[in-house]
Amino acid sequence: MLSSALRRIAKEELSHRVLSDGGVADRPQGKFRIDATAWAIITLSALNESPALIDRCRARLRSEQGDDGRIWVSRDNPDTFWPTALTVLAWQDSSACMDAQKRAVKFLLDTTGVHYSSRFSEVAGHDPGLKGWPWVANTHSWVEPTVLGVMALTAAGYGRHERVQEALRMIEDRQLPHGGWNYGNTFVFGRELRPMPESTGTALTGLAGHVDAGMVARSLDYLQGEINSMRTPVSLGWGLLGLAAWGQSPTNGLMLVERCLANQSRYGEYDTSSFCLLVLGGLAAEPERGRQLWFVPDAHQSGPVVQ
Amino acid sequence: MVAHQGTTSSSGMTRRQLLLAGAVGAAVGAGLLAVPRRYFRTPQQSRTFVTKVDHYQLNIAESIKLGIRELGIAPEELRDKRILLKPNLVETASGAPHINTHPLVLRGAIEAFLGLGAAVVAVAEGPGHRRDSLAVYEESGLAEVLTEDKIRFHDLNYMAGYQLLNAGRQSSLRTLTFPDVFKEMDWIVSVAKMKTHHIAGATLSMKNLFGVMPGIYYGWPKNVLHHAGVENSILDINATLKPHFAIVDGIVGMEGDGPILGDPKKAGVLVMGRNLPSVDATCCRIMGIDPYKISYLERADNWLGPISEGAIEQRGEAITSVRTNFSLIESIPAHRGLRLA
Repeated sequence: MLSSALRRIAKEELSHRVLSDGGVADRPQGKFRIDATAWAIITLSALNESPALIDRCRARLRSEQGDDGRIWVSRDNPDTFWPTALTVLAWQDSSACMDAQKRAVKFLLDTTGVHYSSRFSEVAGHDPGLKGWPWVANTHSWVEPTVLGVMALTAAGYGRHERVQEALRMIEDRQLPHGGWNYGNTFVFGRELRPMPESTGTALTGLAGHVDAGMVARSLDYLQGEINSMRTPVSLGWGLLGLAAWGQSPTNGLMLVERCLANQSRYGEYDTSSFCLLVLGGLAAEPERGRQLWFVPDAHQSGPVVQ
Repeated sequence: MVAHQGTTSSSGMTRRQLLLAGAVGAAVGAGLLAVPRRYFRTPQQSRTFVTKVDHYQLNIAESIKLGIRELGIAPEELRDKRILLKPNLVETASGAPHINTHPLVLRGAIEAFLGLGAAVVAVAEGPGHRRDSLAVYEESGLAEVLTEDKIRFHDLNYMAGYQLLNAGRQSSLRTLTFPDVFKEMDWIVSVAKMKTHHIAGATLSMKNLFGVMPGIYYGWPKNVLHHAGVENSILDINATLKPHFAIVDGIVGMEGDGPILGDPKKAGVLVMGRNLPSVDATCCRIMGIDPYKISYLERADNWLGPISEGAIEQRGEAITSVRTNFSLIESIPAHRGLRLA
């Protein structure tokens, strides 16, 4: 597959999922969803397409923001604030969304998961005192929402903030000894748990530009060993993004994306968030790397982050 | 002389007698509070069915149909109904198919329900550990089977939901959010795996329903439910959702460090029933586990269903003929003292 074909497919598919009120549906003929809208904005931005549409989608996200800056999955579930970090990324570089983004950033900086004394680390298999971000209020912090928090705050210029620095230590602490990450547990009753490709790709994406390559070498090896067997959009999308962030894109990345798109005959049409992740993974794997994905810093090229 | 000693109350009792009576009353009250609530409930009755299935290549559909008949489910109850099968898909690992409900058990259930007149059968799951539900669906082998059978799979983790008041009221969760697809279904069937569990002791048809709670509302690994208490949440979900039927895949289950790192254990059975606590209690006895030692089952007894052997009419195989002790690990607190005498 040529990258131009992927761009065309992405643009066409997303245009079918845009709703008249400025949001994006969770799937074809589906309903508005905040995470789907945020991922669509990020994807269209990466494609350098449809600026007017992006503005409408960003405005829709502004209308969904809570008084304290959070963005939730739905209004009747205000504890589900994990889309806040994603929305900070979707509002990046938008002057119209600057205030909204600042309020979302403040919410992230003021919010953490439930944490425990470090002396419980033998039971938990990780240091439960290191703060990150949870999926849902009043629960423990886990790898993926923490990585999204790091990516959002870094993009917004808070990469050296103490919350980001502690979150980076938390992500490092959750890395499995044999490489890779899962949702965030390393050992249970003394036995090492298994890594998961989507969690590993997410963590590698968020850590790029922040930590040395030596710290993630085993995880990169794990992901390289898995990438050719990935057939589903969430794993493959994050897998390609994670490898690209460390300059290790596979040469057959676009072929893998093409195969995954074809698998919709087996799985049904992908939901919007998964579809966008797959497209972003494909763009990251472009041989020419014509346009650096702005939210995936190249570990070897990233400059200093601003506090 | 102390004036108040031996004073008589208006009831004719001395103060000493009153204090003593109060203390006895308090002790009796405290004792009553210590008696499990199940002793104050009206006894219930149910029926479960156990059938031997030596391996997955046998005719599982016929076994399930037989079970449905033995359990007294009339064809009219299933005719034109929309059935949702909820397997146990957690994560996958090479050489460890015993983590998840075997795809051929799902195929058997699909054939059985369609054969008995169901209008639609769908399969749905929201894995607790992986955000990539489709990867678990594919790698477990279920995608191959459902694609061949032209059966729809729903990823519950990303599905928008609707709220119901928490009917169980065991945890502090005021409401529970279930996936929208449930509104389109007539029967919810828990198609679980027979496994030991390092937190709950055993994971069977009731615990399997953790997977219906969408990850977008409950996180990964369904952390809201862990913070609310695993046992509390199992009871709340079951009390609120009121599932209709259970099938437990014990053909090859998991013993030891379940639910993901344990060893395969061949029990060679399928266990079925309308009442999930009863099905799970029967599974426990087959596994050599005392169901009264599994906290959520003990609390469910004669509320969500009976778990006493005497209250469960056993159809098919006798438990004694299929019992095979699943190994328990003494260093895991949830396993201690579970062994059935």
